[in-house]
Amino acid sequence: MEKKELDRRDFLKWIGTGTLVAGAGALGSGVMVPTGLWAAPPQIKGPIKVGYQAVISGPLAGYGEFHKMGATMAVEEINQKGGIAGIKAEMEFRDSTLKPDDAIKNARYFVDSWGADYLAGIDSSGQVLALAPVVEKLDKVLMVTHAATEKLTEEWVYKKGVKQIFRICNSTYHDGNAAAFIAKDLPAMKWATIAPKYEYGFTCWKMFQDMLKKLKPGVSFIAESWAPFGTTDFRSHINTIMDAKPDGLYSTEWAGELISFVKQAKQAGLFDKIKHIMIPMGAAMDALEGLGPEYPDNIWASARYFFLYPNNKTNNDFVARFRKRWNHYPAYVSETGYSAIFTLKAAVEKAGSKDTKPLIQALEGMEIDTPAGHRVFRKEDHQAIYDVPWGKLKSDPKYPFKILGEQKVIPAKSYYHRPPFEGPGTEPPFEK
Amino acid sequence: MLQSIVHVCLAGLSTGMFIWLVASGLSLIFGVLGVLNFAHGSFYMLGAYFCFTVLKYLGSNFWLGLLIGPWCVCLVGFLVERFFLRYVYHLALPYQLLLTFAFVLIFDNLVKIVWGAGSISPPGLAGLGESISILGRNFPIYNLFIIMVGPLVALGLWLVIERTWWGRIIRAASSDREMAAAIGVRVPALFTSVFIFGTWLGAVGGGLAVPYVGIMTSGMGEAIIIEAFIVAVIGGLGSLKGAFVGALIIGVLSAFGTRFFPAFDMFLTFILMAVILLWKPHGLFGGKK
Repeated sequence: MEKKELDRRDFLKWIGTGTLVAGAGALGSGVMVPTGLWAAPPQIKGPIKVGYQAVISGPLAGYGEFHKMGATMAVEEINQKGGIAGIKAEMEFRDSTLKPDDAIKNARYFVDSWGADYLAGIDSSGQVLALAPVVEKLDKVLMVTHAATEKLTEEWVYKKGVKQIFRICNSTYHDGNAAAFIAKDLPAMKWATIAPKYEYGFTCWKMFQDMLKKLKPGVSFIAESWAPFGTTDFRSHINTIMDAKPDGLYSTEWAGELISFVKQAKQAGLFDKIKHIMIPMGAAMDALEGLGPEYPDNIWASARYFFLYPNNKTNNDFVARFRKRWNHYPAYVSETGYSAIFTLKAAVEKAGSKDTKPLIQALEGMEIDTPAGHRVFRKEDHQAIYDVPWGKLKSDPKYPFKILGEQKVIPAKSYYHRPPFEGPGTEPPFEK
Repeated sequence: MLQSIVHVCLAGLSTGMFIWLVASGLSLIFGVLGVLNFAHGSFYMLGAYFCFTVLKYLGSNFWLGLLIGPWCVCLVGFLVERFFLRYVYHLALPYQLLLTFAFVLIFDNLVKIVWGAGSISPPGLAGLGESISILGRNFPIYNLFIIMVGPLVALGLWLVIERTWWGRIIRAASSDREMAAAIGVRVPALFTSVFIFGTWLGAVGGGLAVPYVGIMTSGMGEAIIIEAFIVAVIGGLGSLKGAFVGALIIGVLSAFGTRFFPAFDMFLTFILMAVILLWKPHGLFGGKK
């Protein structure tokens, strides 16, 4: 009888101890894990998803395809070499159609339905300005690879603090301000413009005028003619400019419209009458290839990247790989698309996370070597700063199209912090 | 000033005649078949691409391209009419618009698949690619050529419709389908032939656009079809005479607008359309049938 009771007591004792030990173990492990030196590195749950949108319909459709080539090649190269921090990268590509509401729809789809970690692309300035507040709500990093309006970075990032937006391509500072640095050395005093009738055209012309007036007092701006999107017939615009008889013409036409414009202007004898021409987007691959030997020689042109600059191993290898993969010279949007993906890789590896906040911290002020050269993401407005050459078009037996001769490189830092972007952020943090 | 006005007039005339070349086929098809064919812009685009392709593979003779290219588009037009449009003639206008708009999307994508999504910039024309000096300023010969081709096409169309046996049947069938069928006209076949002819007109317009615009893109049809619609509406839907006059007005007005009222050039044509439709709701030459 007594033995039996003892047995029961022992039994209870054992149970009690067991529970206590188990409880302590559970408690102990609960306290141990998140602290101390033994904490596991932050785990990134893969894959890393990139939602890329660019225009693949309508008259500017070629641009989207060029974006896609660059970004696709980057994803392929990254995945072949083990991915981003060991994780596979995935990309989905959608048509942005150049319409602001479609850009928003795409972005929402990417984030809400597909689960994108990173957004990239966008061609038009109008689109990107409409998209900015949406990106803030979606809270994903948007790397703009083409749209150039300075309002994106000045207004939305710098003034309104939408930190999710970055831009890897150069912007209207290059097309407007840097153009003025070239124009000041030309003998032309009376300038006119034929430009696209929207945000980009207006801003560039304004920047060009403001900067050139500063650099070369005495210049005058005597005529402007604005061609709406989709203009195929530039003859009336050409008449307007030729009536004004300027010495210099500044034109921010681009893509197919630039080709139509140059052909029609050539027929009308504009390039014989006006000696000094500046076309900021004139050295884009589509214009160079589209116009071929028909492109007149007295044009100063540039783009957001030119495949022969910089002449170093990184860039030359990139061009060679690109030609091997696509049988094509890389357009500027191919380079920015390509570099946008590698920038993501660098940022994720630096941050050790693919979450938006650490990504932004990693990207701010980040320096990265890309085919277009050394890029720095300015902390204040998230604009990437890098050098792109201007040059005068000339023939070269090695290429079936005109290339940039007499290359002039205005150091990016000398015009990226010029007006209208003024304030504490104008001091270049990117001196090397 | 005189130099400027003359050149603006010439630019306007060539723009107008160029739109007319596209609007003629659109008007013809609406006038006879009663179908508002949104895909007409696609036929224009296909015309340009086929002309270019023939040009590229058959010894780069532009005229040969212009002769052969549009016939390839006619085949496309035939397939569209025979197997799709024929089944919506009796339906309300929105259904026709939906179907033809679907074709716009299909053809845009087909062009992208076949010719690539980028723009194609064909080489300039020998001979017609030059320009001549008019009052001290160059004007492209090709634009003068377009200014002359426009009225010739109008004259040709008028002759065909008013003076030939085929034209008489067309007029009969378009004004009373059942009666024409009752007296032995094979209306479906007739309609197919008219549709193919309209397609051909659009495709020739596209072929002529290649040197005029200087570039081809997969979206080129959409830009021109809107202009052509405006022209057709102003002139009175289905009226060829109206489309011709409408095109002239729009071309010259937009040229003057761009030169002298640049702030309004995007709206001028729409304002004109609104004014004309308020004044004459059926368009300048549109009467009730």
